[in-house]
Amino acid sequence: MRRLLMWMAVGVTLAALTPMVLANGWNMPEGVTAVSRDIYSLHMIIFWICVVIGVIVFGAMFYSLFRYRHSRGAKAATFHEHTSVEVIWTAIPLLILVAMAVPATATLKTMYDPSEADLDVMVTGQQWRWRYDYLGEDVAFTSNLSTSREQISGTSEKGENYLLEVDEPLVLPVGQKVRLLLTSDDVIHSWWVPELAVKQDAVPGFVNENWVRIDEPGIYRGQCAELCGRNHGFMPVVVEAVEPERFDEWMAQRKEAAQQEAMSADREWGLDELMARGEQTYGAVCAACHQPDGSGSPPAFPALAGNQTLLDEPDRHISTVIDGVAGSAMPAFRNTLSPVEIAAVITYERNAWGNEAGDTVQPSEIAERLAAQDE
Amino acid sequence: MWQAIKSVLAAFLGVQKDERRREDFRSERPGTFIAAGLIVGVIFVLLVAFVAVMAAR
Repeated sequence: MRRLLMWMAVGVTLAALTPMVLANGWNMPEGVTAVSRDIYSLHMIIFWICVVIGVIVFGAMFYSLFRYRHSRGAKAATFHEHTSVEVIWTAIPLLILVAMAVPATATLKTMYDPSEADLDVMVTGQQWRWRYDYLGEDVAFTSNLSTSREQISGTSEKGENYLLEVDEPLVLPVGQKVRLLLTSDDVIHSWWVPELAVKQDAVPGFVNENWVRIDEPGIYRGQCAELCGRNHGFMPVVVEAVEPERFDEWMAQRKEAAQQEAMSADREWGLDELMARGEQTYGAVCAACHQPDGSGSPPAFPALAGNQTLLDEPDRHISTVIDGVAGSAMPAFRNTLSPVEIAAVITYERNAWGNEAGDTVQPSEIAERLAAQDE
Repeated sequence: MWQAIKSVLAAFLGVQKDERRREDFRSERPGTFIAAGLIVGVIFVLLVAFVAVMAAR
């Protein structure tokens, strides 16, 4: 009787702990898409199957160890085989596995079917940021970490979304099937948003497909899930799901801004406005490696402040930013930045931190060079 | 041959009676078992492929 009570107490404690564990965020999230809920319920079903099997197997084992222990005079049985028992304990796991495989396969089939999407977004991993291209819409931007340097170095208090916040989130409409085409410019990254149940590798030279249909508006955060170099932990993913009407408004605004940006490439820019724009771009794109004060981290990332080659050879400076440096960590920014941004950031690098080239690089100059390269 | 196929099927499941195993090992012709193993193996692969194709429909 006392033993029975003890076992009941153990059972009740375990049963009481389970919801605590689930509520504590230790479990995977249920998510906000039909697929994520399917995955969650599969995960829970299989979890409980494992729990039941574990309890039966270990229960039988510990009971036998205890009940038939040597000190009580237990004698070992010496039979060699029992074919029907062996068939039963082989067939039951087989049936359990098949029973688990059927719903799992059905979910996989849905997950791997990106056809008939309402919207295509190209997701490109770069060291260390994500770039989003709304295909067929002429809207594209990079999404950079926006957590301040002070928080990272520990000189100011860490915010609520520390290392999980970006300057420009990926905006998606709710209720629509969005196809994601994932690739990378440099090394393997992985685009991971737990609430959307998407974790897909972005591999250079390959395009992987995935899709989401988000049910609830909201902000969903994730991270790069494939170790991709020094700033792997500094390229979060933020998805902002909005109502379709708001998405259309946002898209129209982005298109207009892109057009204005393209038009502004034609006019003459002054040194001050190039410097102001360049400082922004430098902070978002270049500072991770070359440091905010241009001191770099030699030898991998050369210093830009006081760099004589950079000051003496403007042409080489421009081609380095546009085409990158083969075999080094310096990426090509031809497709990542607009002509205005490229011109501004080069002008900034030539005139900041004590560099005094005094010259400006005009967006029109960059646009011409890019056009000539495209031919 | 039927005997060999039954033994191969038992091996696929991983359960065999000891007396049957002894009987099989008394056989002078291993070729029968090898042939049976290949045939059942190919059938199994085709069966799995068929299930996969049906599931992908």
